[in-house]
Amino acid sequence: MIAEFFYRRQALVLGTLSMIGIVVFWQIAVDTGFINPFFISTPSQVAAEFKVQFEDGSVATNVAATLYCFVWSLGLAALVGTILGMLAGWFADVESALEPFIWFKYSAPTVAFYPLFVAGLGYGTPTIIAIAFLFALTPIYANTLSGIKNTDRDLARAARSFGARPLDIFLRVALPGSVPVMMAGLRLGVGRALTGVVVAELFGANAGLGYAITYYGQLMQTTKMMVSIVIVIALGVLLTQILSFLETRTDSWRVDSGR
Amino acid sequence: MAQIEIRDLGIDYRKPKSNEVFSAVDSVDLSVEKGEFVTIVGSSGCGKSTLLMAVAGLVDLTRGSIEIDGKRVDGPGPDRAVVFQEASLLPWRSVRGNVKFGLEMQRWSGGDLNERAMQMIRLVGLGRFSDYHPHQLSGGMRQRVNIARALAVDPEVLLMDEPFGALDAQTREIMGTELLRIWERAKKTALFVTHDIDEAIFLADKIVVMGRNPGHIKEVIKVDLPRPRNESILDSDAFHELRKRLRAHLAEDMSSMQLVQEVA
Repeated sequence: MIAEFFYRRQALVLGTLSMIGIVVFWQIAVDTGFINPFFISTPSQVAAEFKVQFEDGSVATNVAATLYCFVWSLGLAALVGTILGMLAGWFADVESALEPFIWFKYSAPTVAFYPLFVAGLGYGTPTIIAIAFLFALTPIYANTLSGIKNTDRDLARAARSFGARPLDIFLRVALPGSVPVMMAGLRLGVGRALTGVVVAELFGANAGLGYAITYYGQLMQTTKMMVSIVIVIALGVLLTQILSFLETRTDSWRVDSGR
Repeated sequence: MAQIEIRDLGIDYRKPKSNEVFSAVDSVDLSVEKGEFVTIVGSSGCGKSTLLMAVAGLVDLTRGSIEIDGKRVDGPGPDRAVVFQEASLLPWRSVRGNVKFGLEMQRWSGGDLNERAMQMIRLVGLGRFSDYHPHQLSGGMRQRVNIARALAVDPEVLLMDEPFGALDAQTREIMGTELLRIWERAKKTALFVTHDIDEAIFLADKIVVMGRNPGHIKEVIKVDLPRPRNESILDSDAFHELRKRLRAHLAEDMSSMQLVQEVA
């Protein structure tokens, strides 16, 4: 029974075991004096501190501030990226016109634009949203573009043989065929948007997980800082998993989706 | 007058890189009567699929004309429907969704789409599978869906581009018999492209043999085998005679081209 479960969910079981192993090792390494807790704290201290921060409401405040920026930046990136991606995938001229910007985005680190945004939008939420928006935009745009552009030519031809007009082909062939690859882009965008928010918060914010990390980091309060780091990781894993789940739901028709 | 009239048809392609003009089909004349089953056979590169796509209105003509019921073909139309090779079903739609697709594209106004689609699905023997998706079906079943999709729009002419080309020999034979059964009930004019000699004879009232460089018609052969047909005619003398004749044509074509090029 247990052996069978282990066999079927091997990846999951091994992954969990290695995670637990790291945490145990972390605790023991500090307890035995092998590593100085000043630098990395310990799991038990972090758990206790989490309880404190949870009860005084600072976890809720920081998570809410981070999620607020995350939702706005991801929402805007999904909207803009999908629309631009569709246009560029369908009209080659639009793709050519937008290409230089995509090159910039790929080659220049987005954070480098941070001072520019501060100058325009000031410290705080608007700048954080703008930076995270830029982080998330590229994969969403690029995946939508490639999905629409690589529309199956045989399917398009079959549609045309039944008298389909270009708009029919876009709506009934290109778009539904692109959903799985667009979902993959959105999943990447989720991770990037969260990274963008936290990174921008490191530089200047009044609340948020990234803010808490720098704040306690500068005060050398490692345990308090670790709480926010752990929350960021958990949030990232959770959001990405939700998107992965949605992704498998939308591409069940794909022959190679493993079903 | 014949239902399909092809006169002095020529189709040229411009090769994308060299800008060289290459003639896929040239000087083709062909008439097809209403209700006739015509197969087009030839080795690869003889322009048989191009000819079919031209009748479908999916390829531009360089010279000559194609008329259906006296109307000039200048694009796809509701009087024709195409059965493609395997990969032309929408993978995200169910069998029923796929059969409805052609009806949706043509803005079908002849009643309930679902009802019409189900009728066609039953005709091709897939009644139990209407909610399945293409990836859950065998190659033969997928081609049944493809045929149902084409028949659903009630075309005058059914155009088939090597529809059984990707199937194994046995399934192919079964599908041939099935197709004749369906055709005898639906009574459509049929144009069927294949490179399989037996298939070409088995299905046809008339076989069009094509040759290459450029694609042209070498001979049109009448097939007088009785209908309805089943596999037993494959062993008849008349069938053997026709097979010999077609083989000779295709062998001639093979020897006239550089095999090396074909392998490369």
